[in-house]
Amino acid sequence: MIKATNVTKKYGGLKALDDFSVDIPEGKIGVLGPNGAGKSTFVKIALGLLTATSGEITVLGEKLTKNTTNIRKKIGYMPEHDCVPDEMTGVEFLIEMGMVSGMSLAGATERTHEILGHLRMGEEKYRLIGEYSGGMRQKVKLAQGLIHAPELIFLDEPTSGLDPNARREMLETINGLTEVSNTKVLLSTHILQDVEMVCDTVIIVKDGKLQMQENVEKIIGKKSNFIQVRIGGPVEDFISELKKKKITAEDDGRALIIPYKNDSTYDQIIDATVKSNCLLYEMERTTQSMDSVYQEIIE
Amino acid sequence: MKKKAQVSDRFRDFDANLTTRPWIVLGMGLRRFEKFFSTKNKIIMGLVVIIYLWTLAFDVLLASGSENYPCVLRDNGDFFDDDYSGPLMVEFKDCGPLTYYGDLFTGGGIRILIVSLAAIASGGMIGNDMTNKSLHLYLSRPISRIDYLIARFIPVFLLLLLVTAVPNLIVAAAMWSDGGLKTEWITGHKWLIVNIFVQGIFYSAAYSIIGLTFSTALKKESNASGAFFLFVYGTSIIAELFFTILKAFGIDGADGVLLISVSHVLDMISYAIFDIEYYVQAGFAPWKVDISDTEAGAVFTIIFTGCCGFMYWMILQMEANK
Repeated sequence: MIKATNVTKKYGGLKALDDFSVDIPEGKIGVLGPNGAGKSTFVKIALGLLTATSGEITVLGEKLTKNTTNIRKKIGYMPEHDCVPDEMTGVEFLIEMGMVSGMSLAGATERTHEILGHLRMGEEKYRLIGEYSGGMRQKVKLAQGLIHAPELIFLDEPTSGLDPNARREMLETINGLTEVSNTKVLLSTHILQDVEMVCDTVIIVKDGKLQMQENVEKIIGKKSNFIQVRIGGPVEDFISELKKKKITAEDDGRALIIPYKNDSTYDQIIDATVKSNCLLYEMERTTQSMDSVYQEIIE
Repeated sequence: MKKKAQVSDRFRDFDANLTTRPWIVLGMGLRRFEKFFSTKNKIIMGLVVIIYLWTLAFDVLLASGSENYPCVLRDNGDFFDDDYSGPLMVEFKDCGPLTYYGDLFTGGGIRILIVSLAAIASGGMIGNDMTNKSLHLYLSRPISRIDYLIARFIPVFLLLLLVTAVPNLIVAAAMWSDGGLKTEWITGHKWLIVNIFVQGIFYSAAYSIIGLTFSTALKKESNASGAFFLFVYGTSIIAELFFTILKAFGIDGADGVLLISVSHVLDMISYAIFDIEYYVQAGFAPWKVDISDTEAGAVFTIIFTGCCGFMYWMILQMEANK
């Protein structure tokens, strides 16, 4: 879908992207990284809005050294910041954006009403955008990116500034709309849960360099060799009992994390609980979260 | 369920059938031009109506007739005794299409209305897109930065053409009617039609591009409009003041001072189009200005390309910094 080879982007003395190379497959891709990692710069270069200082980038099979404007016929873009004009209605704005993409008035009007229907916007679509809530403004921003039926949409921090409910609704909308329109997604964000909810593949970027590229399912599905235990009573005694069995336990503040060797580890934990006069509340194998992978890479 | 599936299929298989860049740009420009005539833009519509009423009243109904149109030879004898024939006595050509662009005290025209209209129409054209950041959305479409600038230039340019070349052509048509609607009048005045058009294009293009530059630089609509108006009139007043002082003291280089004023540069080009010598009304008398067409053309080119370059750079900066 997107291939970057040794892409460097400098802003004066600052390197936003540093010899960045990646081969992004088709699908729903998350670009994850802390603020200032170079995510937005990468998106803007891929969109042809910025020119790389050096390196080469190919989007949907077309090199971006030339023909940067034509490639945008195949790409939609939802920027991070609020950029919808207050003085237009939702319908007027989307029709205008459709026509600026090259659609006819009839085509843009038809598509506008279809998309706003999918977004469950009723009469409010005829109201001025200035009167919309934050969530509705985000929906309109997403809709303008999909108005011209692009093959691929770049979503730059789509849930930024939304409350938890609006965030969940936005992510569901992204999933629903991109699935129904069969659009590929490149989601740039610093929120892990957004990637977990929307993407198939995650790319982690830090200091302008690619740190990791992995399938999201694989990361989430990876069972780590740990058992999470919550007990009541003298915890120190319980840990001592485990030590006698050559088992270590680490307190992460919420529960004790014990390495899993085989199924007999469960029996040994129960035995230690009994011997230390503790009450066993909970014992389960843990799933390695995106959060832990991300923290590991970033730190 | 079946119906829902059909809706989804249609949505997924939608063919946007996108047009090419030139049509996108032209469409953007024409839609903005059309918006000038919406009920939200009462001031713009009001100014256009005043300009047309003014033209009809003073250049058609109260005009002296087709025998003095388009040009008549005058002198500044009104300022001297009848027997004076010294060096200050000058003869100059007074052309209707040229005085149209003058100020009221020069016996013309509607410059103040045209400049006001340009200021109001261009003030928010790019500045508003930069303030509400919709500029990013426009530039993420299949158009380049230059395409965007052209799309924003078109509506202001067309609006100004509507109050420069078009009324002048109406005056010409009225004079043709006054001359008996003879074919010979038209064939003998083909040059006039062309000149009126070219002249209108120069005025409209210059005011549009300068107005858009102020819009880009200041972003806030009212500030940009005010600054544009002050720039056009301020430089004109300063240039005329220095010109008059330097002329009064007989200091060389007085004519060159006029090049700092965009209205004088446009007037110089306008007079060159009509192939007559340029006279400036300063200190109650017309003064012949000795500036070559090349110099005036070069200044116009510098203004135009400078403004375009500045706007392009500003947009580039905004994109890089979000």
